[in-house]
Amino acid sequence: MKESTNKIAEDAKAGDFTGKLGTLAEAFEMFQAEGRSLNVGFENDRLNEIRQGQSSGVSIRAVKGGKIGFSYSSKPDELDYVAEAAIRMAPYGKTYDYQFAGEARSEHTRPFDPRCAELNPDQLVSICNHIKDTVKAIDSEALVDCSVGGGIGSSRIVTSNGQDCREEQSSFSFFVSLRLAEEGNFVQNYRFGAANEIIEEDVILAEAKSAADEFQIARKRADIKKGKYTVLVAPTALSDLLMPIMVSVNGSAIEKKTSRFVDAMGEKLFDERLTLVDDPFHEDGVGGGLYDGEGVPTQKRAIIEKGTVNGFVHTLSTANRCGHEPTGNAQRGVSSLPMPGMHNLVMAPGTDSLAEMRQKADGGLYLRQLLGSFTSNFLAGQVSGNISLGFLIKDGELVGRVKNCALNVNSFDLLKSNILGISKEREWIGGRYLPWLLVDGVQISA
Amino acid sequence: MKDQLTELARRAEADYCEIRVEDSRQTSVAFQGKDLENVQESHMFGGNVRACVNGCWGFVTFNDLSTLDSRVQEAVRNARAAAAANAEKTVLAAVDPVEDVVKLDVKSDPRKVSLEDKISLFGGYNERMLGHSGVTSTNLRYFDTYTHLHFANSEGTWLDREALDMGMGASAVARNNGTTARGTASEGGRANFESFRGMEKRFDEAAEAAVDAAKSEVVEGGTYTVICDPHLAGVFVHEAFGHLSEGDNVAEDPRMQEVLKLGRRFGEKYLNIWDTGLDTGLRGYLPYDDEGVPTQKTWLIREGELVGRLHSRETAGRMKEKPTGNARAINYRFPPIPRMRNTCIGNGPHGSFEDLIKDVKLGIYAIESSGGQTNGELFTFTAGQAFMIRDGKLAERVRDVTLSGNVFDTLRNITGIGGDFNVQDGAGGCGKGGQMPLPVSHGSPHIRIKDVVIGGR
Repeated sequence: MKESTNKIAEDAKAGDFTGKLGTLAEAFEMFQAEGRSLNVGFENDRLNEIRQGQSSGVSIRAVKGGKIGFSYSSKPDELDYVAEAAIRMAPYGKTYDYQFAGEARSEHTRPFDPRCAELNPDQLVSICNHIKDTVKAIDSEALVDCSVGGGIGSSRIVTSNGQDCREEQSSFSFFVSLRLAEEGNFVQNYRFGAANEIIEEDVILAEAKSAADEFQIARKRADIKKGKYTVLVAPTALSDLLMPIMVSVNGSAIEKKTSRFVDAMGEKLFDERLTLVDDPFHEDGVGGGLYDGEGVPTQKRAIIEKGTVNGFVHTLSTANRCGHEPTGNAQRGVSSLPMPGMHNLVMAPGTDSLAEMRQKADGGLYLRQLLGSFTSNFLAGQVSGNISLGFLIKDGELVGRVKNCALNVNSFDLLKSNILGISKEREWIGGRYLPWLLVDGVQISA
Repeated sequence: MKDQLTELARRAEADYCEIRVEDSRQTSVAFQGKDLENVQESHMFGGNVRACVNGCWGFVTFNDLSTLDSRVQEAVRNARAAAAANAEKTVLAAVDPVEDVVKLDVKSDPRKVSLEDKISLFGGYNERMLGHSGVTSTNLRYFDTYTHLHFANSEGTWLDREALDMGMGASAVARNNGTTARGTASEGGRANFESFRGMEKRFDEAAEAAVDAAKSEVVEGGTYTVICDPHLAGVFVHEAFGHLSEGDNVAEDPRMQEVLKLGRRFGEKYLNIWDTGLDTGLRGYLPYDDEGVPTQKTWLIREGELVGRLHSRETAGRMKEKPTGNARAINYRFPPIPRMRNTCIGNGPHGSFEDLIKDVKLGIYAIESSGGQTNGELFTFTAGQAFMIRDGKLAERVRDVTLSGNVFDTLRNITGIGGDFNVQDGAGGCGKGGQMPLPVSHGSPHIRIKDVVIGGR
């Protein structure tokens, strides 16, 4: 595995190729990536699969006649085909009205755990068995699905403007799910985690235990009626409520003027306690990196600073079209074009403890998971979804699961006027590090 | 290729082994606002080996065919490692081995249409939407993908299959007083590029819908009688019942087997639901699934009663039922799992749209869909457009209409099924287990459902 990741960095042939490409195109950008992974999966309480993945690819953006063509192949030795196709596409493409990344070095470092290259199935099977045992000790009736795995990858971006950056990534992740189909009450709860390094088994088992404890409460039902409620929002659900902001600071929405924030830079649109930072260097964040998908060095930046719109996220193209400075936020896979996106979204903690917030939410709801909220009209601030896992709170405790009800909020309004508290505690949800949020006046349909 | 793959699969020291090699080429065109954002040609080549020992799978992907021998050994080694902790037997439903060469059968091949023609056609539609007063931006994406698949398994099946998939999704975006709304148009299929021509009226309607929706009010949340158009009803049956019917939900879950016992009543006598891979030309068409099983029409509900489900060979084997040809993977990077093809509600006895609406005092007419999600029991999906129904007639337009509900209650609450069955393909696809987008189709006539929870203000 190690040998494979060094292949790109040492590939002299690729160096010769970019020299040739420079003579055929007016400008170019070449993106190469490869990776290997190993995952073990349990389904329905039993070991089901050991999966070993290998991936590679190369894509080129080439400029001919002032326009950009793009092509991709999963075969790393098809450089000539990819270059020829990109040049052939160029006459039809977008105008090259900005510059591909120039030479620039990141001053930061990225965590890399070489152990992720040496995972073995026995080690992962053992963790999965312990997850299953942990869950079953709490609820023997729950069916357990889980997976644990990781891998390494590497990428390289070369441009005709002198950039040549390489990056190695290591990753490790786990997923634990408990489910039980009872007549009239399907219960499911899950936890997942991802990191740039191996996650220690005791951390995974603590998450499995937490999911199982909550699962037991979810097996009890609690009644709910249509109305407005105080809601304690878990980081999993807060991630959904923040989507309207994420969509609205996206450079594409700014460029096309579909965002409500087009003219809002410097305006205070949210509660003073709301600060959102894009941090590509957070050592625990899996969304980070030293360079973005166009080879631009990344930056740590506040997007919302004390309630005020402070920054947009741009590719080179959207920054140019908007007349803004590039921000190093191009996100892409090797087979796709760069689009603006966040690296690690970090929300500033509050001053309340989670236990205090639960007490304050007496008679309200604890919102853990929303279903289908991604179909909402985020540009209008709307977030709607079936509450797939939510609990009624009494005297600071979760007393049972509420069902057959839906949440409907406008996040722009909610995060401006309805925040009662933000927790000191925070939790990683993929590339997002978020606290718990206490809000009032939340419309629940039932 | 045939000799190499069949021999390697046959020699693998496993209960079962299959090898898939996939070579696909895609052309895509994307507009954003007035810009031709991307014109792209891509080549994807790779494959996988799947081996089963004592009911446990080893799965390995590769991009380099020259290493195939080692990849087969890795897959077998992984399956054996997993099986060492497992005392079960491999249970795959029996199917007759098949050898077949499936050539493309197309009416109009997109590969014979010049790139200039495609750009002109879709660019014209894009400009048309932008020409409507109030439309501030647009998105339009078209793709066509040609795939050549080779499949061999250790039981002697060999398939050499060509496939074509096309899709186009477009949206017009309008803003009014800080409110943003969309109108959409879509088309798709596997056989006829000409179906993308002559769509001017649909793009005009998408633009007008966006402009009108941006001026409309958010729907008032609550419980309503809803009439779904055929497109949205198709999304509903896919999300709300199709996923529940997938065999991997049931095969190893005794409690779920009780809940989904064949013969259980799910709706009124006029409710009929099926999933089929036989409809040539639709995106859900599938002559063989990704385990080499011939496809079929599979009844799920007949006259309101549960009569079937969607199986891979493993889920069928575990449940001692017949395989249905529903094992699908989006590409070689993933193993096949039970998935839908073209999932439909059949025509019912309640006549036309006018017949369905006339008795609704207060309700919502929900049209098209911008997506949805289910967890087996609960679902959420959002209408592309919506109007209030007042005193049996269509009234004002409303926006941001999200339908939520319980699958079991909602199927029982279908109080009317029209007779205007229709399937409309698009550019999207189904997501499950990290595999998205899988080309599927869905169809239905207009349906009327009582007591649907609608999110809103």
